[in-house]
Amino acid sequence: MLDIRGLSKRFGYGKGEVTALHEVSFQIAEREFFTLLGPSGCGKTTLLRLIAGFTGPSGGSIVLDGKDIAAMPPNRRPVNTVFQSYALFPHMTVGQNVAFALEAQGRPKSEIDPAIDEMLTLVQLLHLKHRKSSELSGGQQQRVALARALVARPRILLLDEPLSALDMKLRKDMQIELKRLQRETGLTFIFVTHDQEEALTMSDRIAVMSGGRVQQIATPRELYDRPANRFVAGFIGESNFLSAMASGGVVEVGDGKVHLADAPDGALTLMIRPEHVVLSAKAPDALQLEATVNQLVFFGTDTHVHLLLNDGTKIVARVQNALHAGQSFHEGERIFLSLPSNALRVVNEAEAEA
Amino acid sequence: MNGSDTGRRWALALPAVAVIMLFSILPLGVVLVYSFLTPGDFGNVKWIFSTEGWFSVLFERSIFDDTISISGANITILLRSVILAIATTLITLIFGLPTAWFIATRAPAQRNLWLFLITIPFWTNLLVRTIAVQEMIRSEGVFNRILLALGIIDAPIQMMFTDFAVLLGMTYVYLPLMVLPVYAAIEKFDFRLAEASYDLYASRFFCLRRVILPLIRPGIIAGSILVFVPALGAYITPRIMGGGKSMMLGNLIDLQFGQGRNWPLGAALSITLTVLVLLALIWYTRLTSGRKERDHV
Repeated sequence: MLDIRGLSKRFGYGKGEVTALHEVSFQIAEREFFTLLGPSGCGKTTLLRLIAGFTGPSGGSIVLDGKDIAAMPPNRRPVNTVFQSYALFPHMTVGQNVAFALEAQGRPKSEIDPAIDEMLTLVQLLHLKHRKSSELSGGQQQRVALARALVARPRILLLDEPLSALDMKLRKDMQIELKRLQRETGLTFIFVTHDQEEALTMSDRIAVMSGGRVQQIATPRELYDRPANRFVAGFIGESNFLSAMASGGVVEVGDGKVHLADAPDGALTLMIRPEHVVLSAKAPDALQLEATVNQLVFFGTDTHVHLLLNDGTKIVARVQNALHAGQSFHEGERIFLSLPSNALRVVNEAEAEA
Repeated sequence: MNGSDTGRRWALALPAVAVIMLFSILPLGVVLVYSFLTPGDFGNVKWIFSTEGWFSVLFERSIFDDTISISGANITILLRSVILAIATTLITLIFGLPTAWFIATRAPAQRNLWLFLITIPFWTNLLVRTIAVQEMIRSEGVFNRILLALGIIDAPIQMMFTDFAVLLGMTYVYLPLMVLPVYAAIEKFDFRLAEASYDLYASRFFCLRRVILPLIRPGIIAGSILVFVPALGAYITPRIMGGGKSMMLGNLIDLQFGQGRNWPLGAALSITLTVLVLLALIWYTRLTSGRKERDHV
């Protein structure tokens, strides 16, 4: 449905030239909840503004339903945006804000009035229809911004970090709300965020971006289980990294050894999630190492055990706090830990450069 | 206790009240009283009650047979003043809005330079500025010479001492008064709202009409009042640019206190001018407070 082909964006001239986006290509399917995830300055907002049409690309094309829209002005693209600042019109009521897109398109009043009521019902704000938009709370403004962007039934709804201004609890509610809206409207959402948890809970697919390039595009589960490189592994969830040497499918870390069929020969980096670290020597088919318990951090549902390997590498293990805790640890204690081979991943040190 | 409190408050307000009484209410009272007296033989007034001054604002009596007719000259000047003041306001708005827009959309460092350029004439003496405009349009002036040299006209166009000349002079003189408040309003405008409106299918014109103009309206109204009020009572500009042919209210008042030796009529005309300005200000307050009311519904 949306096909981004070799899209790039440069700002400035000569020595001051900065490349915000390096020939990015990917496709988004109909009704997909697609997320652009990355730290600030990774190019995700630039990409969003290119799709919305607020800036023109330096190269490449944006093909929507088989038509290149890269040169089309924003008011002719069937794409609407929910802005980070909401950008509600302060001199208009909630109803007038929602009606704006339809009035700009010159639709008849008989069509606009029911559409406003329908949209406001969808975001549960019908009772505030005649209120000034400047008199609403942050969460309510957010809903008006959504209704305003959805009312003209765009092909794609762009959301530019729309939840970042809300407090924690409201944000959780809005995440569920957004997912519901997407299901009910059957629209394609492109969501920009720097919050990996937000991305993991809501998205069908996530594009992880860094340095103006897409590092990996995958489902949340795939991203978490099989990160393409060290950046993705580090950005999504928590990870432990170990330097290792491999030859003939056998990987050595310090004095531990494990069989990993897909490991290439030579020096490499292994990654394992904290919840997969087993704090005993008994696990079968695992890399066994000796470590010192450095620190215990209590998190309610679980405890993070910070460990120090003999070579100084730090490892964090996450242990669930069961009601009848089988084992307890003390800081300074020497223990054995096992890293199961099916939880170990060989990760690429280098970020995508192409 | 309440009584002494009120008394103390009055005592504290006394200096302010005294200043207002002395410099605003009292002179106005004097003008009002004079407008109901009889003109003296060599200026000044005789302390004899008369409504002749007010009568003469709109009517005149024939010297020979005391027949009453409408004073064409005064009405023409009154109408001309109102029309020229409205025209000046509209023209300064038409030129001032794009100018203010241009300045407000420059880089912040450049804006002060542009504002400075706009206000330079403002720091120059009004008389000098007006004579400079005269130099442009008089029969041997810059415009006529250029047009003659280019062969577009055979004889100089008479531009001085016309309504056009007065309008040109006033537009030039009052333009900064329009640009500054409109600029202040545009500078506060959040351009992300314009972006949002384009995203929501608005054309440039639709965005201007529905988003930008309503939000910079307070600046436009303030600028219009700042131009209209002094334009209505303008004196120097119509005096130099209009001469005796295109007089405005200010010149008419001056005439009555000077050559006309009819102080009561001059006083009545002054009160008329004050009332017109007050009406404009009331209209302005209505516009702005009406807006606030709607803001809070």
